[in-house]
Amino acid sequence: MSGEQHPTSSNQGGLKVRQNLPVDGQDLKDLIEAALVWLKTNQQTVNALNVFPVPDGDTGTNMVLTMQAAYNEIVNSGEKNVGRMAHSVAQGALMGARGNSGVILSQLWRGFARAMDNLETMDAAILVNALVEGRKTAYKGVVRPVEGTILTVAKDMATAAEDAIQHTQDLLEMLEIVVDAADRSVKHTPELLPVLKSAGVVDSGGKGLFYILEGMLRYCKEQSLDTPLATVQPLALMNIENSMEEIEPGQDYEVVVDFKPYTPLDLDRFYNDLSQIGTSIQIGEGDGMYRMHIHVEKDKRDDPLKYTETLGTITKVSMENLLAQLEENRGGVVSRLSFTPVEPGQIAVIAVSPGLGISRIFASLGVTGIVEGGQTMNPSTEDIINAFENLPTDKVVILPNNKNIVLAAQTASGLTVKKVAVIPSQSVPQGLSAMLRLAPDGAFDDVVREMSDALQDVETGEITTATRSVELNGVSVQKGQVIALHNGKLVYSASSLEEACLGLLARAHTTERERITLFYGANLDKHEVNRLADKIRNGYPGQELEVHEGGQPHYQFIISIE
Amino acid sequence: MSEATNPLGTILISHRAIATIAYQAALLSYGVVGLAPKNLAEGLAQVLVKDPMLGVDIQYDGHDLLINLYIIVEYGTRIKSVASSVVDNVRYMVEKAIGVPVTEINIHVRGLRVSNTD
Repeated sequence: MSGEQHPTSSNQGGLKVRQNLPVDGQDLKDLIEAALVWLKTNQQTVNALNVFPVPDGDTGTNMVLTMQAAYNEIVNSGEKNVGRMAHSVAQGALMGARGNSGVILSQLWRGFARAMDNLETMDAAILVNALVEGRKTAYKGVVRPVEGTILTVAKDMATAAEDAIQHTQDLLEMLEIVVDAADRSVKHTPELLPVLKSAGVVDSGGKGLFYILEGMLRYCKEQSLDTPLATVQPLALMNIENSMEEIEPGQDYEVVVDFKPYTPLDLDRFYNDLSQIGTSIQIGEGDGMYRMHIHVEKDKRDDPLKYTETLGTITKVSMENLLAQLEENRGGVVSRLSFTPVEPGQIAVIAVSPGLGISRIFASLGVTGIVEGGQTMNPSTEDIINAFENLPTDKVVILPNNKNIVLAAQTASGLTVKKVAVIPSQSVPQGLSAMLRLAPDGAFDDVVREMSDALQDVETGEITTATRSVELNGVSVQKGQVIALHNGKLVYSASSLEEACLGLLARAHTTERERITLFYGANLDKHEVNRLADKIRNGYPGQELEVHEGGQPHYQFIISIE
Repeated sequence: MSEATNPLGTILISHRAIATIAYQAALLSYGVVGLAPKNLAEGLAQVLVKDPMLGVDIQYDGHDLLINLYIIVEYGTRIKSVASSVVDNVRYMVEKAIGVPVTEINIHVRGLRVSNTD
């Protein structure tokens, strides 16, 4: 946030609070903006605290997004009425609520707004009402409130305000009392929630709420909102790995220095000096040791070290090039299917696969490459050649896995100087069965023979929807019915998936086989798959049933019976 | 039954046990004010006996653990956010307790409870 976007430019609202004048809608807007800016400034501090209930480290981010949504709702509003302004804030927070703490925050705003319904201005007494109403609303949203969380902090704030209104009507003083209560409440959270205590932290949501109130107070006191105060975390809890995600341009190096200071450390000065060197500063403390973490430019990578040396004895230094690491990580995400690399002289297998799930299974069985294709999307001869032409081996096996692709595969094998064999697998189960017999270092002809023989080991069932009415092999089919194909031949038609699957299994030699594998297609409801699997399991208790996501289009199920 | 086998033997965890964990985790989630019967039969049974797995449905096929939750949400909260934090919460608690990854959690919002209207 740059300086001119700050509400401090005019500080109209802050001035009114200082002079204890009634606050109107526009002043409230300034206060909200200040809260947002201060929360943003301390976002990482809040994130670093997150241990409960899901340690995903994003409470600060969620709260910032919620407050941002609230502020966006009012940013262009000229509303003077404080009640209507508060309702807009609540509305924005509701729509933008993210995460547990965001939802609770939006409820606090909702109660806050309700207390100010249609009031022109807010004074100390109304602020107290609003905090109390916020607490009530927030507590209604949960059956079993967990104490030691943001809820507790909201409660303690409201209670402190209720007590204080007996002896002060001053708005600024009231705000100070509330912020102080929030601070104490946050510090007390580990006593209420053991999980916080064992992690050595305070509650993250509560801390976020504290920053929101403190931001308003700092604004009223004309204190800076964009430099975080020096905060020290327990050493064990410094979440340094997470900081990878937010590398600022130019800040390529991460430097972490452990040191023992000669004299007690002046944290604010230390923090300020560090912020001259780099960004993403974190300081950890434990047992008289300090750990500092900073992101710096390449040229400045030695500076944190030199600086820390002036303060104490350095015990350990680590330095990493973040940019290089980040690029490495990105590379890993792209190739999510990991194929088995082939060595010169080995046999490479190229499989045609109709869906991602099936591709994964082929990849796990050791294929070198996948060509996407299936029933209505036959790959071209060129696609197939491209898949193996650049491999560092001259022995290639192709598994077309579909009757209609066998021909294209055979054509491809004639167009290359490499030694290519097409195993005429007509279905995915046949292809998988052949893969199990692959010996990459074996004699080419033997391996091809073995793999071809394996095609007989398995029966294939396919379940799909009829696209036209037909009578074939003595089975009459209406358009739209579910049909079952056994080894490519139409054997059964039915009105439901379940009936078709069971009908198919009855017609195959299922009881003589050992294992049934279901590959379910894209867009199929997982529950339906599970229900069906249960039915099959009951019907064939002697056979092992496996269910995999195939991801193929058109066919609801491809079934392998072996 | 969910199971884990190691060389020493087999651990079986009943659906009911998992459902109880999920139920507690759901109730601890902010915005959830209760769970609802999955169907009429369960609704009737609930009148007779308090069931610790009301509104929770567990399916396990040896591979995938599926949890369906039927919840009542406080009126005035953002339902989408509440639902996703229930998912996070339940997944975390169940996985932590039984050590089996949860494949899928589906949230069915069966109703809203209105305490206040604005």
